[in-house]
Amino acid sequence: MRVSYEWLKTMVDVPQDARDLVEQYTRTGTEVEALDTVGQALDNVVTSKIVSKQPHPDSDHLWVTMVDVGDRNLGADGRPAPLQVVCGAQNFEVGDHTVTALPGAELPGGVRIEKSRLRGVTSFGMNCSARELGLGSDHSGIMILPADAPVGVPASQYLGLSDVVIDCEITPNRPDCLSMVGMARETGAILDEDVRFDLPKVQREQGTPAQDSVSVTIEDPELCQRYVARVVRGVKIGPSPEWLARRVMAAGSRPINNVVDVTNYVMYLTGQPLHAFDLGKLSHDERGRAHIVVRAAREGEQIETLDGKTRALTPDMAVITDDGKTPVALAGVMGGMNSEIDEGTVDVLLEAAAFSSGHISRTSRNLQLMSEASMRYERVVDRAGCRDVADVACALFEQCCGATVAPGCVDEYPVPLELPRLTLRCERLRQMMGAPITDEFAAHSLERLGCSVTPGDQPHVFDVIPPSYRPDLPREVDLYEEVVRLWGEGDIEPTIPAARNHLGGLTTEQRRLRLAGATLRASGLNETINYNFVPEDDLARARMDGLEGMGIPVRLMSPMSSDMAVMRRSMIPGLLRNVAFNQAHGVGDVALYEVGRLYFGRPGKAQPKERTYVSGVLAGSWSDQTWYERPRQLDFFDAKGAVENLLDALRIVKARFEPADPADAPFAQPGRVATVTASGRRLGWVAELHPQVVAAFDAEGAVAAFELDLEALIALSASELPYRDVPQLPSVDMDLALVVDESVSYERLMQAITSAGGKSLDSVRLFDVYRDPVHVGPHSKSMTFALKYRAADRTLTSQEAEALHARLVKKVCAATGAKVRGE
Amino acid sequence: MSVFDDLKDIRERALEQIARSADLKTLDAVRVAVAGKKGELTSVLHQMGSVPAPDRPRVGKLANEVRASIEEALDARRAALERSELERRMAAQAVDVTLPGRTRPLGHEALVNSIIEEAQDFFCGIGYTVVDGPRVETEYYNFTALNTPADHPSRSARDTFYVVDESAGADGLPTSGVIGESNVLLRTQTSGVQVHTMETSEPPIYMICPGTVFRPDAADPNHLPQFHQIEGLVVDRGITFGDLKGTLDAFTRAMFGADRKTRYRPHFFPFTEPSCEVDVSCGVCGGTGCRFCKHTGWLEILGCGMVDPNVLRMSGIDPEVYSGFAFGIGVERVACLRYDLPDLRALVQGDMRFIRQF
Repeated sequence: MRVSYEWLKTMVDVPQDARDLVEQYTRTGTEVEALDTVGQALDNVVTSKIVSKQPHPDSDHLWVTMVDVGDRNLGADGRPAPLQVVCGAQNFEVGDHTVTALPGAELPGGVRIEKSRLRGVTSFGMNCSARELGLGSDHSGIMILPADAPVGVPASQYLGLSDVVIDCEITPNRPDCLSMVGMARETGAILDEDVRFDLPKVQREQGTPAQDSVSVTIEDPELCQRYVARVVRGVKIGPSPEWLARRVMAAGSRPINNVVDVTNYVMYLTGQPLHAFDLGKLSHDERGRAHIVVRAAREGEQIETLDGKTRALTPDMAVITDDGKTPVALAGVMGGMNSEIDEGTVDVLLEAAAFSSGHISRTSRNLQLMSEASMRYERVVDRAGCRDVADVACALFEQCCGATVAPGCVDEYPVPLELPRLTLRCERLRQMMGAPITDEFAAHSLERLGCSVTPGDQPHVFDVIPPSYRPDLPREVDLYEEVVRLWGEGDIEPTIPAARNHLGGLTTEQRRLRLAGATLRASGLNETINYNFVPEDDLARARMDGLEGMGIPVRLMSPMSSDMAVMRRSMIPGLLRNVAFNQAHGVGDVALYEVGRLYFGRPGKAQPKERTYVSGVLAGSWSDQTWYERPRQLDFFDAKGAVENLLDALRIVKARFEPADPADAPFAQPGRVATVTASGRRLGWVAELHPQVVAAFDAEGAVAAFELDLEALIALSASELPYRDVPQLPSVDMDLALVVDESVSYERLMQAITSAGGKSLDSVRLFDVYRDPVHVGPHSKSMTFALKYRAADRTLTSQEAEALHARLVKKVCAATGAKVRGE
Repeated sequence: MSVFDDLKDIRERALEQIARSADLKTLDAVRVAVAGKKGELTSVLHQMGSVPAPDRPRVGKLANEVRASIEEALDARRAALERSELERRMAAQAVDVTLPGRTRPLGHEALVNSIIEEAQDFFCGIGYTVVDGPRVETEYYNFTALNTPADHPSRSARDTFYVVDESAGADGLPTSGVIGESNVLLRTQTSGVQVHTMETSEPPIYMICPGTVFRPDAADPNHLPQFHQIEGLVVDRGITFGDLKGTLDAFTRAMFGADRKTRYRPHFFPFTEPSCEVDVSCGVCGGTGCRFCKHTGWLEILGCGMVDPNVLRMSGIDPEVYSGFAFGIGVERVACLRYDLPDLRALVQGDMRFIRQF
């Protein structure tokens, strides 16, 4: 809502400086977006008088004028002298007062005035039309000022153009503030000042009464709660008077013609949208009456709205029709082309109606058509005021359009407004606000805001009836807000509630979630956050589509772009885009993880299964070469190591990494992918991604990755493991180098060793893997383990340990086909 | 020469040699030559038999003195040499301590999440719980249960991402009756979690619900279609607007600094009544006005209010018995205010150079 300060001043006494009012607005809940100063830009534009007028020697329509601009032009003798200005207008005579732009002036729209030659005659300025000055639509000639206008004073000063517009953001609960009258009332309440509304009144009604020219039928009161129609005749369509055009412009509309401008002006003044129909364009019955029918649109019905677009209507939308047949307006949103006011309009049917906010809102959303009217209807207009507003508009038609107002009006009002009767309990108000607001203050504030306030049947209680223009005050608590915002929220003493009998803090799961993140960061991975909406083909590009357990995609109905079409079912594509982004920006070493939600849609279910996963990618190396270390290409085992740290931190001891079948993991490089399981549950995978997948996301090089069901990990996480005594007795350490076939996995060998070692084998650690066709043999590998033997109750002798070891070696070799290296 | 002179001579020479020994090896050679099995002193002592009996006590005494003083000198010299050897070794091992240490680079937390954790810690400290909820939410929990009128503009597809409703019989128009909308959506606020909490637990309720939310704003330096909120809810007996202020004042100071001031501006939200927006004094200019705060001295950070009685009632809580407050803060907004980030999109690009700064 754009509030002209000059306009506001006519209704309520305001501070000299608009900034003081802005501060008050801010404090009481009217958000101010901007404070615009208008009219000041008209530097070097002055009032003037035509001294002489000669036809241009070389043109059949230009005039060479001498204009008196007072002391703004001095002759050689230092005295004021008339200025020569070439002018194309035809509407002036010698002696007329007008407005002249001098060299150096910049007019609205960016036109700069300079000394120039027009067909050989020098012009030292320009006589201006209203439109050229940004004062309306009138471009039929130069502005003619009253004969008593002074000469040579700044035009903005003379015309009172200099104004401040407070651009307010009105919250949806305050439809009353979408009007100057409403803003004046609000201002009066804030400043504790009286308001005055000097609304124009119809001077004379004559001719055929409105009832004999118009009839109105509301088919469904659900669509329209009131419809007031008045008739004015003999309008002379033309530009609006300058004051009207200026106020319409200050409010944010472009002046069009006097009839349309009046409807807009009155809407800005009162908040009630109005519509003017060309009565002559409506069909009339045999008695000469136009029959307005407000009804639901019919399936397949269409209307061409004033913006020139043809709109397909649905039965949820309300239309104004001509005798129930042709739609002539989209109710509450926009008029129809077929009944538009134009140059030839003589008689006007004025509509001041109350349409239902819900229907207007949906209509506006479904047609993607917002208007000043629909915006006000969506927020509920004051239907109690329709009649009065129509009268104001008629008075202005009379005053500004030369119209004759027909007596009476047609007022269909099927659903009269009922005002709520509320009880204000001041004790409860004080208690809930925690502030010592007096009864008197509360009552006075509500009265200022237009409520009727009377003492209730108990002490500290008032009966309150809010005004018709405040649909946002249906309950007692709504009154609290009104009182407290005028009392000042800043003055309420801050306290902190005790949270008695309430246990706070993070849950075990939340603490484990944090631990998981902290562990991954300690492992060198950085946390990122990606969009949860992704391109539809993401999974296909990642070679993950069709994998088990992924459900169906959750699809956005109107995605902002095809890159945001569905909700993600894997975080790997997003992370790969991060890798590509980094690589494209010269960062080759990428170690990222994301803890985020995946969305697995379920056929037949409204909502998907949402699950928190953790995923990571590793590309390049941990860091560039350092003074102590060469960079090492990150691979499968770096990703696996990060996962192992995570499992360790979460105390998941029984996790297994099993080779995954390439058919089950097409996204991975075959032979470099493991399924992670624990306690029989599949937790996810670790892999090096398939080079084609990496390339599909414009990334380069090897990318190791993992994706794990973090909720499952956290559920499996044990808070504590059983304590084992720290060994006090010395161990006997032995190394064992085994040569096995390539097909024998580390896991298989470890199983064989630990099962053969029994209780005496304290620990086993692999410390070397070696391949050599000559020394180890083809298709074989040598794996060297460090074994620690220990007895719980005594120090083992070396003979005992050797015997244990020999037995272990024999068993392991028998079980795995291993040979002791070098034997 | 008498044996006395021999002993004294040995002592004199030995002490001198010990003093002259420049390293442990030389010193050890002196020890062997003097006090070793075949050393001079040893061989003199071996001659004790040839010393006349009356002299033996004196010779013995002297011999012991000589041995003692030599051994003492040897020990002292050894200690001194060892010390200087160690010092020499250490001197040779000195390093340039300004060289970088051996590390694997530590990972960094996403800025947004570190702010959320900070807020969690603050609220856990004053007795709140942290609750999570679905991000694909029904329109009931995102709007209706929060007192949002059926035709509120925030429900339009301009302001809400609707998703295809896959539930049986969802092929017609949604309850809103608007084409392009649905009964299922990406939550535009985390408030739905508050409703779930009120439905499933009895007051007292002290909770926050941080998390990801979605709104159809094209990504630009100041907007992201996906961002994060921290919302909070308190429902208890006797909760006042003063409680709301005290809590948010303390939170604001914890997040932005003890010297920051707050300002409460009345506002409108469907789910609170009265409602406020909260500004914090500008940290750049201290409230006098600068480019950062657009010359107002204040930065908008929070929306809040007393829980609307309709919201309480819809969740089965009697508003005559209980009252409460709710608030919400945009995490990206906090990030911006703290770091003056030029472009929010950096938060979703995964740029290592960005992430590693926080």
